Amino acid sequence: MKTKTLSSKKSDTLFSLFLDLPAFLLLAGFIVVPIIDSVVKSFQTFGIKNIITKKPGVWNNFANYLYLFKTDDFFGATVHTFSFVLGVVVVQFILAILLALILNSNIKGARFMRSIMMTPWVVPTVISALIWMWLFQPQYGLLKYLVSVVSFGRISDFAILNNPSTALTGVGIAALWKQIPLMTLLLLAGLQNVPQDISEAAMIDGAGKFRRFFSIILPYLSPVIKVSVSMSIIENFKQFPLFWTMTGGGPNNATTTLAVLSYREAFVGMNLGSGAAVTTLWMLMMIVVIFGYNKLFRVQEM
Amino acid sequence: MKNTMKSDSKIFSFFKYVALVGILLFLLFPLYWVLITAFKTNMEAYRYPPTFYPRVPVLDSFISLFRENNQFFVYYKNNIIVSSVVALLCCVIAIFSGYSLARFKNQWNKWFFALLLASQMFPVISRMISLYSIMGKLGIINTLGGLSLALLAAQAPFCIILMSSFFAGIPKEIEEAAYVDGAGRWRILFSIVTPLVKSGLVAVGIYAFLMTWDDYLHAATLIQADGKRTLSVGIALRYLGELSYDWSLVNTISIVGTIPVVMLFFFFQKYMIKGLVAGAVKG
Repeated sequence: MKTKTLSSKKSDTLFSLFLDLPAFLLLAGFIVVPIIDSVVKSFQTFGIKNIITKKPGVWNNFANYLYLFKTDDFFGATVHTFSFVLGVVVVQFILAILLALILNSNIKGARFMRSIMMTPWVVPTVISALIWMWLFQPQYGLLKYLVSVVSFGRISDFAILNNPSTALTGVGIAALWKQIPLMTLLLLAGLQNVPQDISEAAMIDGAGKFRRFFSIILPYLSPVIKVSVSMSIIENFKQFPLFWTMTGGGPNNATTTLAVLSYREAFVGMNLGSGAAVTTLWMLMMIVVIFGYNKLFRVQEM
Repeated sequence: MKNTMKSDSKIFSFFKYVALVGILLFLLFPLYWVLITAFKTNMEAYRYPPTFYPRVPVLDSFISLFRENNQFFVYYKNNIIVSSVVALLCCVIAIFSGYSLARFKNQWNKWFFALLLASQMFPVISRMISLYSIMGKLGIINTLGGLSLALLAAQAPFCIILMSSFFAGIPKEIEEAAYVDGAGRWRILFSIVTPLVKSGLVAVGIYAFLMTWDDYLHAATLIQADGKRTLSVGIALRYLGELSYDWSLVNTISIVGTIPVVMLFFFFQKYMIKGLVAGAVKG
């Protein structure tokens, strides 16, 4: 061992492969194989019977997919998922960048505010669902009271989660609450890398606040924006516990997203094959969205 | 001219404070609401219009949680066990692979890095549909060990990337000097390089702990026995009845279930904030 040099290529490679081995085995066993297996299962009749008798699934000529396209559920779930992702990501970005810019300006107590504003991010997802369910509670909830005060008593039975046209927004508010802190933190870190002197030079040249924001700060911030927005897209695309706890997909399927639909098919209906068909299409959509997003961003980058 | 500019910036600064107060209220008021509800009697919690501070602060729901509804602490204990095991193992794996990714730029590691990025994208439910039967066949379904392994795989990719960004900041000359002194590869890794990235290791450990503490889907599908359930699933199944919500109790559970992670985060927040930024921006 001592006769070889440290940079000996072959022994370097062997050592690094050895170091990667535990993680590789883990990922292969618990991520790669299961993903491939679930795609395979999406083409099979595979239910609770197969699990009990340990029999493999049987190829069923795309029956799972045909079944999905026959009912409205899949189409509805796709629409709900996309509107949820779009709505939450856009509002989240606007509020987060606003908060980050404010905390980055010379404001008293910015460090303290930065640290306490992180609390919602730490609160477990199911517990944040409980917190918002209590605020939204249809009989004694705070929101019902606030809405009735603001509307001078005209709307006295506001129950955001019980109305099919507002339920998705209700879950979205809980998602925003939990996710705004992390995005603000990342954007704030990005803002601190914007060179101060350029911004000051522009100010002397007479560039206004908005001008400076769009032509100096935003370009410098774009790598951080790209990463934090794509993290948020992925997270909201995958969101499940908030829906399952707060609405269970209701009322009247108004909050049934792809996550809820696939879970319901696979683990409530115990039809794992058709659940897998939902997740397979869901993964494809996610890959398309992320690739499209990356392409779009690459074009805009300077 | 100068006057209009000044009044402009006054209006601007007014809106700045309105926005700041509005957003912070949105983020922090719900926490206050949970806190006061937990100290209300159920009679007061169900009063409408609601009271904005507990008229008669009581510990009833805390006592009821400890005395009668203490199945909660079984879930709590399981959650602590699983999160600690995952956090520890995650640190070990992140040292191994994070070091490898940062030091050795070969073809294999390029592919390995791509795998790490891609594996964070797939929906958990998709994995669970398959793991449910695979782990059933292997006999590790419904065990805390099996659950920990599945969760470890879910947390490892981000942790490895995070750790490698810390390793990348250590100059290679340090290792070369140690090598000249006759230290082997493992000695260099464990007794020379790893101590230099302690802060990264703390960030990785806490991150893995927080994310595992938050898990719902893995436990919901891989655990069936009530005595082995973890926090999120246990709460959702036991304390959220269709008709009878005991809201003071639910709010108490929210507090007790959040305290460990909030304390952990604030105690180590210096490392966490640095780590989150490094890990996210690199990945």
